Amino acid sequence: METTSGDRHSFILNMGPQHPSTHGVLRVILEMDGEHILEPEPVIGYAHRIQEKMGESRSWAGFLPNTGRLDYLSALIYNHGYVGLIERMTGTKVPLRAEYIRVITSELNRISSHLLWLGAFLLDLGAFTPIMYAFDDREQILDILEDVTGARLTYCYFRVGGVCRDVDDRFVEKTRAFIKRLRGRFKPIYADLVTDNIIFIKRVRDIVNITPDMAMRYGVTGPALRSTGIRYDVRKNEPYSVYPGLDFEIPVGSTGDCLETYMVRVNEMEQSLRIIEQALDRLPSGPFRVKVPRRLKLPRGDASFSVETARGELTYYMVSDGSDVPYRLKIRVPSFSNLSILKELCRNMLLSDLIMALGSLDLVVPEIDR
Amino acid sequence: MDVKDRLIAGLANFQATVNRVDHRKRGYHLEVTLTSTQVRDFALLLRRLDFYLVFVSAIHLDPDLEIIYQFASYHGPCRTLARVFADHDGAVPTISDIFQGANWHERETWEMFGVVFSGHPFLVPLLLPEEDADLKPLLKQPAALKTAESVTSDQ
Repeated sequence: METTSGDRHSFILNMGPQHPSTHGVLRVILEMDGEHILEPEPVIGYAHRIQEKMGESRSWAGFLPNTGRLDYLSALIYNHGYVGLIERMTGTKVPLRAEYIRVITSELNRISSHLLWLGAFLLDLGAFTPIMYAFDDREQILDILEDVTGARLTYCYFRVGGVCRDVDDRFVEKTRAFIKRLRGRFKPIYADLVTDNIIFIKRVRDIVNITPDMAMRYGVTGPALRSTGIRYDVRKNEPYSVYPGLDFEIPVGSTGDCLETYMVRVNEMEQSLRIIEQALDRLPSGPFRVKVPRRLKLPRGDASFSVETARGELTYYMVSDGSDVPYRLKIRVPSFSNLSILKELCRNMLLSDLIMALGSLDLVVPEIDR
Repeated sequence: MDVKDRLIAGLANFQATVNRVDHRKRGYHLEVTLTSTQVRDFALLLRRLDFYLVFVSAIHLDPDLEIIYQFASYHGPCRTLARVFADHDGAVPTISDIFQGANWHERETWEMFGVVFSGHPFLVPLLLPEEDADLKPLLKQPAALKTAESVTSDQ
């Protein structure tokens, strides 16, 4: 379709909802002038399942499996936020062993999410090889997590009061072996193949710059925010679980471009390995779960719980009327706010750079649509 | 002066109720109750203090819809929850020109609850298909409606 407004001659280009580089079912309507985007308009909702209504039409325990199906790439962290919220409302104390298991498995989940992102992002750039290495490493994590959780993607492993199954020595052994393996691969594979590659650097430097002011106006969180230089991570700023006792850093960038967002995620993987290593060293013995009645009533009132997923801040906000069925459940997902900057971010940008912007934001569309 | 004190000082100019909340029990630090005429001034204050928008949503209560705003700060722990009851005509002013991220949150709240954000530049369905714009799926059946008191903690 061609439109002419004033002396501007433009045409409309429809991208998605089934397009390989929109990673899911995102649609973007682009008003174009040649190869330049005049106005990008994201259209979402293709994977909308009205999760919030499901959250208030069954008991709190019945909603737990849904949490792993919002952002399927960091399902365990979504579990964590939800059980954390119920524990906060009911005042349930969680055994220390369970908290450490949660942190170890959550961080493994974060690494697997970042590895998938790394492969897919480079695939968008036209580099086919890195995804093979990234998926090879990710496969190791899936095997480890499959042993303890029984699932490979949509985990539902955490329970209110702990985790549903204890980890054994084999898990600890395999996780330690994985840490060693991944550390050995950062330099010879990811750094030499990608990070230090001049073609890659020239392609991603100084494009899609997010500014701190833009981040604040849109509520951007996660690596996309940290690449602008703001050191904000829920694990540090509003600590939960056993994160306060663990020694790790929050990698940040400065210019907010694609390269820095990439570097933040790669550095985060190394920090996650540090966290896992310390947590394995300190993993206490003892119970892995306290029994909580399945039809436990939630006290009247509201509560909020935030966690840091691989993509940014996830907040559950629940209102209870005193029964075991929540009165209202609001799920604030990071990719929703992160995607909403697209319109401002990609105005007057080249079409090929929009693909980079979408890749760099690391979107998971079923999470946005809920 | 940390972020929380600066916000409380800024709120002193409002006729708003501000409560300090126990973060360990409720997950946020400040609870603010506003009228719909104060929403924009409140948003401008938070913008000046470098807060970011976490979400905008609503709760369907008897007799009115309650609109909730959550903000937090990158610079210090100060998660703030603001509550506003809609006008008689079900409207509150938009804050999407102050916090651009509110644009989508307000569109979602409108399509799910029917809250009209007056002054919003593009109030059309976001997640729902266009033909379901009148569905308002998160509204409750009259029998399931609760009053604000019955969903508020006694403490």
